[in-house]
Amino acid sequence: MSNTGVIFRREFAAYFNSPIAYIFIIVFLVLNCGLFMTPFFLAQLADMRDFFGNLPLFLIFFIPAVTMRLWAEDKRSGTFELLMTLPMKSSEVMLGKYFAAMAFYVVALLGTLPIPIMLALLGNPDLGAVFGGYLGALLLGGLYMAVGIFTSGLLRDQISAFILGMLACFALFLVGVPAVSATIDGWVGGFGSFLQNAFGLMPHYQALQRGVLELGDLAYFLGLTAVFLVLNAVWLEGRKY
Amino acid sequence: MIEVRDVTKRFGATVALDGVSFRLDKGEILGFLGPNGAGKSTAMKIVTTFLAPDAGTVSVDGIDVLRNPLEVRSRIGYLPENHPLYVDMMVHEYLQFVGRARGLAGDELRRRLEWVVEACGLGSVFRKPINELSKGFRQRTGLAQALIHDPEVLILDEPTSGLDPLQIIGIRELIQGLARTKTIIFSTHILQEVSPVTDRVVIINGGRIIADGRIGELERAAMGRNRIYVAYRAPAAEVEAALRDLGGLHEVRPVAGREGAARFEVRADFEHDMLAPLSRLAQSRGWDLLELQEAPFSLEDTFIALTRQSGASREVSHV
Repeated sequence: MSNTGVIFRREFAAYFNSPIAYIFIIVFLVLNCGLFMTPFFLAQLADMRDFFGNLPLFLIFFIPAVTMRLWAEDKRSGTFELLMTLPMKSSEVMLGKYFAAMAFYVVALLGTLPIPIMLALLGNPDLGAVFGGYLGALLLGGLYMAVGIFTSGLLRDQISAFILGMLACFALFLVGVPAVSATIDGWVGGFGSFLQNAFGLMPHYQALQRGVLELGDLAYFLGLTAVFLVLNAVWLEGRKY
Repeated sequence: MIEVRDVTKRFGATVALDGVSFRLDKGEILGFLGPNGAGKSTAMKIVTTFLAPDAGTVSVDGIDVLRNPLEVRSRIGYLPENHPLYVDMMVHEYLQFVGRARGLAGDELRRRLEWVVEACGLGSVFRKPINELSKGFRQRTGLAQALIHDPEVLILDEPTSGLDPLQIIGIRELIQGLARTKTIIFSTHILQEVSPVTDRVVIINGGRIIADGRIGELERAAMGRNRIYVAYRAPAAEVEAALRDLGGLHEVRPVAGREGAARFEVRADFEHDMLAPLSRLAQSRGWDLLELQEAPFSLEDTFIALTRQSGASREVSHV
């Protein structure tokens, strides 16, 4: 088994070693599906736009709660020293943890599959948009996850890591909201638009949600995810000095 | 095997290690001594590549810790000071995880698992969750983790801290059993733990090495003179005068003894045998000799003398 695989296996099992995983998944499904089903019966439209529209805000709370333990727990319990003296690169350890958190999120997402199945049985949903929506949910989650694992490394305390991760994800969300960027433009001419174009995630996410697959949007999510993972790796190496 | 040369490490304004050097040959056991906060753990963290030195070089088996940390790590089994345990796992899951992370698989992993469980006495808790284990079993699980890949070098930070006397003896016997085949550094601030396992010690205080050598040599160097207790049944003043006239004794100090006995602590040079003259004194004066013994210095005495000396010399150097 590869080094990353060994870490992945242990971290993924760690989620399910405690009841927290099940509580997380149940809360995720109940809230998301509940928020979706109420307007669904009113609008009577066979699409998932509302479902995916809720995710960017909802995941700001959910993802940092999944990632907060990734480094903070190891640093507190002393296992951080064990991990960092294993004969493997610190980036391999980090990727193992990152993919484990992603796999946990994928399990939660898989739990929402009854919705598109139900839609397909009841009506005739735009499967392209549903597919694009799930891809967007995956990429968005992956980005938040990278932000969350990075902030978890900076702190020793899980709750602080959670709050810092949440704030960082919220900042990425906010700068992409037109009202916010317009306000910042009012203070410093053009700066708000620059932030929106460079970092704001909503424009890219909404494109995917419509079922439009463009290289630019994929590059935004994957690129920014990579940036935070690299930052995390740099922090892991720099900590020694 | 392990070579530490002029290593300096700072944390902000604090100097944790200040020009530390020592070396250890293959198969040697080194007791790493010092008060809490002296820099023992920092030095061990640098050897295990967890921390990087600010200055100086460290090599294990000729491999530099900065240039090739992964090679160094694969040769080292490390028990950090805080138990490096995942308490949500069972003992066997945890040891399997560490074994796999260290590149073991299949039959080899199974063989090594059996060996460490036997060697560390973990048979009875093998399938228990770690958070249900007592402190002694946790420490042994940590030790098993350090041994699973059969490393050439063992670095144990306070392996016996917080254990009861029986558990301490168990860990000590385990270390002694590994002695011939492995190079071992273990740290402790409890001095009696060292001498049964090894006579090679390095004493560190305030980030500097203040002594490096065999326990016996260090005692002589630190204490300077031998210490003898002698007691006669005779008037104390008479005995004291006789002892001062005897010659060869540097210090004569009355100490408490039993009723009717004049008991003294005297100091003499190590190369000067004073036991015979002291016993003849009783015959020539017609006193009863009640006690005559050389009192060897404990490691504590040595340690205290050395840390005081280093503290004093540092104060001088500051002026």
